[in-house]
Amino acid sequence: MEGKTRRPVTVVTGFLGSGKTTLLARVLSAPSMANTAVLVNEFGEVGLDHHLLRRVDERTVLLGSGCVCCTTREDLVGALMELLDMDQRGEIPRLDRVVIETTGLADPAPILHTIYADPVLQHHFSVDLVLTTVDAVNGALHLDLNPESVKQVAAADKVVVTKTDIAEPGIVPGLMSRLGKINPSAWTFEAAFGEVDVHELFRPDGAGTHAAPAAFTAGSGDPHDVGDTHSVSVTFDGAIDWTAFGIWFSMLLNARGEDVLRVKGLLDVGEAGPVVINGVQHIIHPPEHLGEWPDEDRQSRIIFITRYIHPEELLDSLLAFRGLLGARPVPLHAAEQRVPFL
Amino acid sequence: MCVLCGQDFVARVHWTDRHVEDRARAAEPGFDPVAFQGDRRRDRAHRVVLTNEVLRHYGLRVDDWSGSKYVLRDRKGRSEIIQDLGSLWPAAAKLADRTLDPLDPVLWERLGGEPAFAAADSG
Repeated sequence: MEGKTRRPVTVVTGFLGSGKTTLLARVLSAPSMANTAVLVNEFGEVGLDHHLLRRVDERTVLLGSGCVCCTTREDLVGALMELLDMDQRGEIPRLDRVVIETTGLADPAPILHTIYADPVLQHHFSVDLVLTTVDAVNGALHLDLNPESVKQVAAADKVVVTKTDIAEPGIVPGLMSRLGKINPSAWTFEAAFGEVDVHELFRPDGAGTHAAPAAFTAGSGDPHDVGDTHSVSVTFDGAIDWTAFGIWFSMLLNARGEDVLRVKGLLDVGEAGPVVINGVQHIIHPPEHLGEWPDEDRQSRIIFITRYIHPEELLDSLLAFRGLLGARPVPLHAAEQRVPFL
Repeated sequence: MCVLCGQDFVARVHWTDRHVEDRARAAEPGFDPVAFQGDRRRDRAHRVVLTNEVLRHYGLRVDDWSGSKYVLRDRKGRSEIIQDLGSLWPAAAKLADRTLDPLDPVLWERLGGEPAFAAADSG
């Protein structure tokens, strides 16, 4: 019963006015999204006409450790429990999916933490996708001025560039390339007037089910530096010890968790299939041990998106741990980069 | 939730402990629970060995405590009971009086690594 029955949760983040609600309104009108419940923080100017719409007040409980991403959103616990109750009592048609729309400034990490740490919710819900909207007109400015905006892009599995219809010509390709540098592991879509392929957009990716191979654009394997944000893709010259990786990574997260914006990848741990690892800041999705590899490439491939931590530091640290890990890290460069990634 | 230490250790499984739990849950109904216990014990023993490889550079060591917790000690005999790797590092930082940072070049040297990437610019 585990795993199969967890209801997928999609988190939609994006800066103020970046078109989250317009996108949602469009997406929710698709027949396949009829059994989707929507949790929003505020009813905005763009009305959402949907029968399973709930408003939640952002009530955050800061835990003793005081770290922002390990906070619990009580409002979400309450709202999700209520939906679960209604679903199980048969008061609503089968609940296929929950979409949580965050406020513009919200960090998605506490939402993931709330769902994975709650003793009840963790068995009934699983975050399968983080969608981030970036406005083509103001996106670059937000990325320049607001660290939250960079965090949201780093946390995304899919990035939707909105308002491409009203952007100056030439802006969109530059923005897309910048987004790709911040988070090479995310799919990037363009959506004018909220028009996107709903099926494509909600196809789960990586977080729990890894069904769709997202394409790395050529050259994205090279370490990238965008301001203080860096990303690097790494493989290993052999299978690694999963326990040792857990030790290294939990140690890293404890020491520098706030600067590890994102980690995502497949690890060869010497079993028939890889381990899917996906984390946003301190919050790690429950790693999934797959029965088989999703494609021909059987090498580990893991991407780290960091702030202030240089890719060389991560690589040297992994190299120092090679005795425990059982393999040496190798940075993936453009030439060696295989296209399918998760 | 334990009323003494306030730790919620029943409901929360640290991500590094997840695979053994998942394997047990995914098992067929006729699955032998003894085999699962063996699996879990081996996993814990292996984790203790590997973790001590890192902790010894800070004058600390960890031992399995009856298969349910770990005990972290320093050389002065101070100890902390910990649940998993998630609670190990903050407790170790308390005993060692500094954060245990895997990006610390001094640790790399002690683990026998020579920085190879910082020198050669890989970008």
